[in-house]
Amino acid sequence: MAIPLKYNLRNLRVRWRLTLATMLGIALVVAVFVMVMALARGLKATYVSTGDERNLLVLRRGSTADTTSQITRNEVRRIRYLDGIARNEQGEPLASAEIVVLATIDRIDHRGTANVVVRGVGPVALALRPNVRLVEGRWFQPSLRECVVSRKIAERFANCRVGQSFRTGKTTWHVVGTFDAAKTAYESEIWVDADEARKEFNRNFYGSILLRPVSTAAGAALARRMEQDPLLQVRVLPETEYFRDQTKMAGPIQFVGTFLATIMSIGAAFSAMNTMYAAVGARTREIGTLCVLGFRRRDIYACFLIESVLLALGGGVVGCLLSLPLNGVATGTFSWTTFAEVAFEFRITGELLAKGLGFALLMGVLGGLLPARLAARKPVLDALRAV
Amino acid sequence: MTIHGFILRNALRNKRRMLLTVLSVALSLFLFVTLQTALRELTQPATSEEAALRIVVRHKVSLGEVLPEKYQSRIERMPGVAYCMKLTWFGGIYKDERNFFPQFGVDAEKLFPIFAESSIDPLQREVFIKEKTACVVGSKTMQRFGWKVGDRITLRGTIWPVDLELVIRGVYYGGLDETNLFFHHEYLDELLGKRGLVGTFWVKVTEPDVIPGLMERIDAAFRNTNAETKTETERAFQLGFISMFGNIKLLIGSISSVIVFTLILVTASTMSMSIRERSREIAILKALGFDGRQVCGVILAESFGLAVAGGLFGCLGARLLFDQVDMYSLSRGVFIKFDVTPHIIVTGLLVAAGLGVVSCLLPAYTSIRASVVGGLKELD
Repeated sequence: MAIPLKYNLRNLRVRWRLTLATMLGIALVVAVFVMVMALARGLKATYVSTGDERNLLVLRRGSTADTTSQITRNEVRRIRYLDGIARNEQGEPLASAEIVVLATIDRIDHRGTANVVVRGVGPVALALRPNVRLVEGRWFQPSLRECVVSRKIAERFANCRVGQSFRTGKTTWHVVGTFDAAKTAYESEIWVDADEARKEFNRNFYGSILLRPVSTAAGAALARRMEQDPLLQVRVLPETEYFRDQTKMAGPIQFVGTFLATIMSIGAAFSAMNTMYAAVGARTREIGTLCVLGFRRRDIYACFLIESVLLALGGGVVGCLLSLPLNGVATGTFSWTTFAEVAFEFRITGELLAKGLGFALLMGVLGGLLPARLAARKPVLDALRAV
Repeated sequence: MTIHGFILRNALRNKRRMLLTVLSVALSLFLFVTLQTALRELTQPATSEEAALRIVVRHKVSLGEVLPEKYQSRIERMPGVAYCMKLTWFGGIYKDERNFFPQFGVDAEKLFPIFAESSIDPLQREVFIKEKTACVVGSKTMQRFGWKVGDRITLRGTIWPVDLELVIRGVYYGGLDETNLFFHHEYLDELLGKRGLVGTFWVKVTEPDVIPGLMERIDAAFRNTNAETKTETERAFQLGFISMFGNIKLLIGSISSVIVFTLILVTASTMSMSIRERSREIAILKALGFDGRQVCGVILAESFGLAVAGGLFGCLGARLLFDQVDMYSLSRGVFIKFDVTPHIIVTGLLVAAGLGVVSCLLPAYTSIRASVVGGLKELD
């Protein structure tokens, strides 16, 4: 017969100071793990959610990012009217020739600057990106130096609210609207008219073309045709693939999270072990009594292991709770691919919390194994004699 | 038995507990030292006396824009300028995207006078200057790819629509960064059809005093042109890069303090455990005539000793480990160096010492307050 769980819970309560200290130690390890991993998750999620499965992205051959790609005007003319590209109600092909440039803009606290992506877009850009919608003000009108900014840019950079204006080089841009991009990578961008951007930033070329084929099969044919055309020096890839490629940025953060959690949890397992050894030492007589009452050594072993696991899981739950307020907090980092700042949010998922609890469980088991063995092997008579 | 012997015996009486405590302190301090080193490497660009003589001229809009080549001769004529060199980021791919390392097109004859802290064989330098498709490579990158002088390599352009076919003609050592590859700017320009586009100009001045005035003169000279400039000191230029990575300082700082806090919990609970077991002995000590301060001192010495022993293991262990491990290739080039400096080790040991003191405060307080009779009555 197993020793009732109540026995463990009561014991943990009696030694509440030690229990609390050990639990808090484990809680902090779990919290650090969940927080760092939430950073990586958020960054990944931003990129994964950005691409639309129906879209194809055209870049210059050899180019890895739309910030450094170049598509000539002739190429744009040649591609726009190819067969197989979907059209909108007005009969315009859903192919948006865009130009992406970087602008150095002051941060909101005016302490330092950062590179921000300025995307020059045409009228069909919105039809290709259903997750971008205006939340304040209105869309820009071409040739009036007007721009719309994402909500995150408005929050993070100086003079980017509706009605304000900022300078890049010689041009002063007036902010006329704010858009929401449903937590995609467009949340880190400023949008202006494509031809105006080309003029103001001295570009005689475009950067990329985003287009929507009528069907998947048509898309494959279209991609083949563009890549084999000797007059086009382009590379065609699904938009989702382009953004998935950028999730590798989260790799180092994930590595740091795992590294920290591993080393810290070894330390925390040591402290759990200390606590459990002390528990075994203090209850030597009780162990003897349990033996006399007829509990088997197996039960005693399980009893102490369970107590250690309970202690650790309690800590794990507290750790998860500690990390929860961070969910949704906005932050930003530098992308080596675009050379600009990308804004994203910490994202805590159920899976991440489960992993944190898994870590806690592991600490509990590691910390409890040896002390439980010691408890189970105590000679009955000696144990009873212990004062 | 002397008082020192008494403290030592006490510390060693439960060897298992002592070992576990020392190990957990050591592990945490190892992490602390690692994080502080990472923070230092990421946020403090290497500086030297030479670097204080250099300023960087870039396009005002952003680093993504290019400047016209003709600016070079205008800057060169300004008083206080010793050298002015073109430097353009190439960002090419060597075989695979993961093999990232920095590549720059430069004026070959000015490279080593400007970056005087790097050294190169004079013969190799001469060959590099004469041959248009030659390049010189930092020793760390040479090692990483197992290159030898004379090897031919191809860099696939990602930003520029051309591929570079280069011959390695020299290796440089020392300086701020041993991972770069430098090639002739002229070669890139020819491949691009002589468009005369330059990423940045690096200027070396004759003496530091002229820098503020010169920076203003350069920006003023190109104001109201199609390509206005922004001139910064080398240090400001590099710090600008670092600030874009986001708030690393805050992240690492908060993780470090969580570690220290966890440590305090762990050590404090160990200390209170071992002191509670000894309440009878402490009562005997008091009955023998030791006063509260002396008893307190005994406890403090034990806790301090445990924490500092753990600290020594952790800090010196980190130092020894990172001396052996090649962090440059392990981190895929994120960390160029990973020096655990004496400053960081001392900080770690101070944290350990503070920990020793703080974690025994509560147990010591309880034991001083406890009555002698109560303590003597206790059985265990």
